[in-house]
Amino acid sequence: MRISTGLPIGVTALLFGAAGRRKSLEDALVGRLVGNDYSEVVLPILDYAEPYEALLSPASRGELYRFVDRDGEVLALRSDFTPLLARLIAPRLGGLSLPLRLFYRGDVVRWAEERAGRLRESYQVGAELLGEDGEAAEAEVLRLFLDLLASTGVPRPAVIVGFAGALDELLLSAGAGSTSGAADLAAAVARRERSAVRRLGGSTALLEVVDRGIPDDPAALGKAGERLARCVETVAALSGLHPEVAIGVDLAEFAQLTVDPHLGTSDSSQRSYYDGLVFRGYAGAGGIEIGGGGRYNRLFDQLGVDLPAVGFTLGLDGLTSVAPAAAAGARQETST
Amino acid sequence: MIRLALPKGRIREAALVAFGVAGVEVDKLDPETRALSTKLNGGEVEVLFLKDWDLPLYVERGIADCGVVGSDVLGEVDGDLLVPARLRDGACHFSLIGKSHDLPKAGEQARLATKYPKTARRMLAERSWGAEILELSGSVELAPMLDLADLAFDIVQTGRTLRENGLIEVEVLDVIHPCLVVHRAAYQRHRAVLNAWVAKLEAAELVL
Repeated sequence: MRISTGLPIGVTALLFGAAGRRKSLEDALVGRLVGNDYSEVVLPILDYAEPYEALLSPASRGELYRFVDRDGEVLALRSDFTPLLARLIAPRLGGLSLPLRLFYRGDVVRWAEERAGRLRESYQVGAELLGEDGEAAEAEVLRLFLDLLASTGVPRPAVIVGFAGALDELLLSAGAGSTSGAADLAAAVARRERSAVRRLGGSTALLEVVDRGIPDDPAALGKAGERLARCVETVAALSGLHPEVAIGVDLAEFAQLTVDPHLGTSDSSQRSYYDGLVFRGYAGAGGIEIGGGGRYNRLFDQLGVDLPAVGFTLGLDGLTSVAPAAAAGARQETST
Repeated sequence: MIRLALPKGRIREAALVAFGVAGVEVDKLDPETRALSTKLNGGEVEVLFLKDWDLPLYVERGIADCGVVGSDVLGEVDGDLLVPARLRDGACHFSLIGKSHDLPKAGEQARLATKYPKTARRMLAERSWGAEILELSGSVELAPMLDLADLAFDIVQTGRTLRENGLIEVEVLDVIHPCLVVHRAAYQRHRAVLNAWVAKLEAAELVL
């Protein structure tokens, strides 16, 4: 009998040099996380489907790999570290000293359409700061994300920053109380379609967000205006640390990431548990997405625990594909 | 430099008109050339000519910064692309095509030939009848004509092919427009240029 040597769709094996390159990059990133007092946690790749599913966004649930094991339990393969970590930490908080700085690494498995560059199994390194609220914690985590990204030596690194709910008041007021109208408007802002934003009743401030990422007058955002001003300050303070990393605020990028329950979103790229600062990183000449994160206190709320949380993940497959071959090893030497 | 992918197919003309208005020197393109890419505007714009179905992947992977593709194709690819403008010119529509005016009755199961299986499934989700989808790569109209399928789900521009082959547009569905698509990271890098292009298209009333 001939045994197939192929692999399933969206799965890849790293052999020889390719494995070494990714391992060097991983070791360098882990070295920096340890150097910043983050402790490693090792999380299982199998979990019960029921509690795990409840913490995922509807879109993520659709990507979950589930199966029934021989004991009759419905299990799921890990598709997202953050909800899994939150579920394990929440019941143990009583005995823990806060804040916690944790990191993890490993595979996540999500169904993705068969398409060039789409992986169903991918490798991540992530970090979470638990138990510290406020913008200082967000700035710490964003700074760590920038440090790690810059350390990889990837060409054309860029980070886009925003915050969940930034446009809620603008969207609801333009939607004239129609939640579907507001959701349509959010989608038009997210795809940067100015004419549709105008047609759907979007204000001048929303058009400014489409054009420039932020409105000329932060007060146009209502209650979120002050938050925007502080977000811009945070980004300005971090922008000088790594001049090679382009960093900017673009609220349109996260227009569908709302905190108002009346504003639905159908964008599968949005993770619904974010409720504060959010950011996304790109790298390489092709501008591939290499990770992102943000504040997700809402996730612990769902678990009945009041625990501020902010974190990020970096995708090692994407980073390795754009990192200079020699850079990972050399930077590992400098970091250890 | 911004790299612009233009379609070779049905919407090529609408795309060329639009980018001419936007200020890209498309009039300098040699219609006879077999070159796969050409630099225009003093090298500030590089134009690639791609097949319609390949174009979204080139933009999604960042090989091209932006491009023009029909919403029919966009509906079939699960790409994470920005769509800052939809063009008025070059529009057509989806239709259900058959040999008679009759649609399947509620509860019936039909055979539906199409090049657009995902869009067809979304359309069927709102119907009282179901269908087995037969995915074809071309000449979809032949399927109902030769009884491979009961209906075809395809784009219709003028309807001439249908008329000449004794077929009927049983139901006219969504309008399809050429769309400007942009890679997310490229949008951040070329925001000023892209906004200027879209503003010119809006001023010329070329966008929806």
